[in-house]
Amino acid sequence: MNPPAISLLLVDDDVSITGQVGAFLTRAGYRVQTEADGARALEQIQALDPDLVILDVLLPGMDGRAVLRALRAGGDRRPVILLTKVGKASERALALEEGADDYLNKPFSARELLARIRAVLRRAHDAPVPLTSAWKLTAGNLILDRRARRAVLNGQTIAMKPKTLALLEYLMTHPDELMTRERLLNAVWGWEYPAGQRTVDTRVAELRRALGDDAGQPAFIETAPSEGYRFIAPVQGEK
Amino acid sequence: MIRKLLISATPLLLCLTAGIAVEALAPRLPLLSLEISAGWLLVLAGLAAGFLTASFFFLHWWHGIRVESAVQAEKQTQVEAQNRFLRRLDHELKNPLTGLRAAVENLEESASENLLPATLPDIRLQVERMVRLTGDLRKLAELEEIPLEQSAVDLGDLLERIVEAAQAQPLGTGRDIRLVVPRVPWPLAPVMADEDLLGSAFFNLIDNALKYSRKSDAVEIRAANHDRQIQVEIADSGPGIATEELPRIFEELYRGANARSSEGSGVGLALVKRIIERHGGTITVHSRMNGATGSIFTVLLPASGAGENMTKR
Repeated sequence: MNPPAISLLLVDDDVSITGQVGAFLTRAGYRVQTEADGARALEQIQALDPDLVILDVLLPGMDGRAVLRALRAGGDRRPVILLTKVGKASERALALEEGADDYLNKPFSARELLARIRAVLRRAHDAPVPLTSAWKLTAGNLILDRRARRAVLNGQTIAMKPKTLALLEYLMTHPDELMTRERLLNAVWGWEYPAGQRTVDTRVAELRRALGDDAGQPAFIETAPSEGYRFIAPVQGEK
Repeated sequence: MIRKLLISATPLLLCLTAGIAVEALAPRLPLLSLEISAGWLLVLAGLAAGFLTASFFFLHWWHGIRVESAVQAEKQTQVEAQNRFLRRLDHELKNPLTGLRAAVENLEESASENLLPATLPDIRLQVERMVRLTGDLRKLAELEEIPLEQSAVDLGDLLERIVEAAQAQPLGTGRDIRLVVPRVPWPLAPVMADEDLLGSAFFNLIDNALKYSRKSDAVEIRAANHDRQIQVEIADSGPGIATEELPRIFEELYRGANARSSEGSGVGLALVKRIIERHGGTITVHSRMNGATGSIFTVLLPASGAGENMTKR
C-alpha cells in the first residue's frame, strides 16, 4: 500500500489557477483540495488539516495576508506559500513579517511552484522555526540579524550594501536549495533583466569577499556550475 | 494676488512717481492753473479707485481662464497618452491571444491526429510573450517608487562589463562592438547611481543597437566627460529611425515600422528613459536614414561631486 499522500490546500478564486495548477500538483502525487474564499479557507484548514497551504493574496471574503495572520496568531505553524501578484520589495518584507514560508509571484510556472513546495516541506521537517520567518539566522560563525539588517562574522559586523545583504538573506533562508540566477534576480532584485545573470555573479563575488568565503572551497556559498548557487552551511533560525 | 494688485495699480503709481519726479527735478515748469472743487476731486478719486478695482478683477478673471485652459490642455494630453497606451496594449495582447486561441482550436478539432507536439511550442512562445510584457509593465510602474541603491559608479568599468554581456549573448556573437572610454589625461568622473539599474539601461540600449541593425553594421559606445556631466553615446550604423517616429520611440509600447516584427515587449526604451531620468539624467536620439545611416542615443548623467574638480575651469 502507498503511504498516505501529502495533502495541500490551494486557495485561489480563479478557477483557471485552481483547475490547471491543481491538476499539475495532483499529477505530482499530492492530494490537492481547493478553496476560493478567504474566510472559508481558514475553516477548511481546521477541518482538512492540510500539510501545506498555498494562499493567493487577493481573495474574496478575507485576503490571503489576513488569513495567514489569523493562522499564525492562533499558533498554527504549518507551511504556507503566498502567491503574490506584484513583487514589490515592500510586499516581500510583509510576507516575512506575516510568517510565510515562501512566496511566488504571478505569473509563476507550475513547475516552479512544485519545486518550492518540495523545498518548503523539506525545510519544515528539519527546522523547528521556519527560517523565512525567523528574525535571527545563524550559520556557523555567521549571524544575520534581519531586524537590524546586520551581518556579523566572528563577532565582527561586516559592512554590506543593502542589496548584498538581501542576497545573503535570501540564500540563508533557503539553505541547500539550488538557486538559479533567474530565481535570485526575481526574489532579490524583484525583476529579471537580460544583463542580470552577470549582475548576480558580481554580487555573489562581492558577498563572498565580505564573508571571506573561498569559491574553490566554500564554507557558505557553493557554485553549481552552469546552474546557479547554493548556500551549503546549515542554518538555524531564532524567533 | 499681490502681483495682480500691483499690476492693476501700476497706472496710478506711475502717475504718482512721474508727478513727484517732475516737481523735484523741474519745479519751474509752467504752472497749470486748474481750479477744482472739492466735489470734483472726490469724483475723480472715486473714478480712480473704481478703475483700480475693475482692472484688478479683470486681471484676476483673465489669469483664471489662462490657468484653467492650461490645466485642461494638460489633462487632454494625459488622456490622449493614456488612450494611446491602452490601444497599444490591446494591440500587443491581441496577437499572442489570437495565436493561443487558434492553437487551442486546432487541438480541439483534431483529437484524432496528434497535433500536440507541433502546437505546444507555439503555445509556450505566446505565453512567454505575454509574461514578458506584463513583467516589463510592472517594472515600469515599480521604477517610480523603488529606492535607488546609490554608490559612486565607475561608468568605464560598468560599460566594459555590459559590453561583454551583450557580446556573450547570441545576438552579439561575431558583431563589431567598440567601446571608447577616456583614461588619459584623466578618467571618467564617477556617477552616483544604482549600478544594477543603470547597467540594465545601457544593456538595453546596446541590445537595441544590435537588434535593429544588420550583422555587418558596427556599434560604438563612446563615453566622455562633458562639463559636470558624463555623456555616453550608443551609436550604430543601422538603417536609422524615421524622423516622424523619433518623438514617439520612448513611449510605452510604441513600435516603429522597423520594430513591428521584433521580439521585444515594446517597453524597453520607456524603461531606459525612466531609469536615466531617475538618475537625474536625460536621453535623446539622433538618426539618419540617408547617406551615412544610423542612430545615436545620447545619455547625459550628472557627474558626482567627487568628479567636479576634474571638469574644465
